[in-house]
Amino acid sequence: MIGLIVLGAFVSLIIVAYLVVMERDLASSVILFMAFGLGSTILYFVFSAPDVALTEAVIGAGISGVVFLVSLLQTQTKESR
Amino acid sequence: MSIKKNIELQTIISGLLVSFMTITLLSVLLGLDYTDKNLGSSLIDINEDLTRSANVVTSVVTYFRGLDTLGEVTILFLSIFGIGLGIENSPHMKNILSYDNTLLKLGAKVLFPLIVLFGFYIIIHGHLSPGGGFQGGVIVASGFLLMLLAYGEAFHLNHKIITVFESLSGAGFVLIGILGVILGDIFLSNMLPLGVVGQLFSSGIMPIIYIFVGLKVAAEITVLVEYFLRTEDVG
Repeated sequence: MIGLIVLGAFVSLIIVAYLVVMERDLASSVILFMAFGLGSTILYFVFSAPDVALTEAVIGAGISGVVFLVSLLQTQTKESR
Repeated sequence: MSIKKNIELQTIISGLLVSFMTITLLSVLLGLDYTDKNLGSSLIDINEDLTRSANVVTSVVTYFRGLDTLGEVTILFLSIFGIGLGIENSPHMKNILSYDNTLLKLGAKVLFPLIVLFGFYIIIHGHLSPGGGFQGGVIVASGFLLMLLAYGEAFHLNHKIITVFESLSGAGFVLIGILGVILGDIFLSNMLPLGVVGQLFSSGIMPIIYIFVGLKVAAEITVLVEYFLRTEDVG
């Protein structure tokens, strides 16, 4: 059971990381990055590091996303080719 | 042409530097001696006698490496200070992400006290359960972030109170360290009774240090988020 959770989290983390890099719309990229933070939170918790999981849940999936979004809205949201 | 040559030279130099650092790191890592009796297991061995805390991570952060925590908190303070210098402060500021929604406002009003209470629970139980000052402080700040997102300019942060909390907690941390010099033997040494493992009032100065760290982190991250959410009102 734990092995299945770890495998699923790893595979989805790799897919989400690829999507974060390849996404042209930077606002969607930030949202995908927050999903990446959620996946790594699950991974930290399964690997028995609940301290790090708490920090990652708030910083990675919350505050850093807001900071990135605000910076994007103050500049431009499309990446030039 | 000369510009292109420069860039190529820089690329070669940076590639050489990166490969040199990688080889050095790899040789250091391969040369390390991974014996059974390393630093982590010996810290776990001496933890219960020295600190009477249920969470070894907390005893490393606040007792064995308390001075490093003071440095970390100082670095966080300096970075927030730099952001405050860089972002201009004018009265015509507008919240950039706020969106007028009655349901969101009602939900934020219900959730805000629960989030702040959970953050303070994490801070105070740092020596008993996972978490501690940094984690709980950031959770408290995320509650303030929710209120800022839901209410926009209608939610005013009192900067005087935040400044008082921030500076008092920083000064309290240093004061406890100096008290450790006077009453104990070294900076940040334990001068309070240790108590029983698993009780709330136990393990000496560690909960007090984590409460100071939590208040400081909460105040700083709240101010950081508020600075980032404001923008100049153009319309």
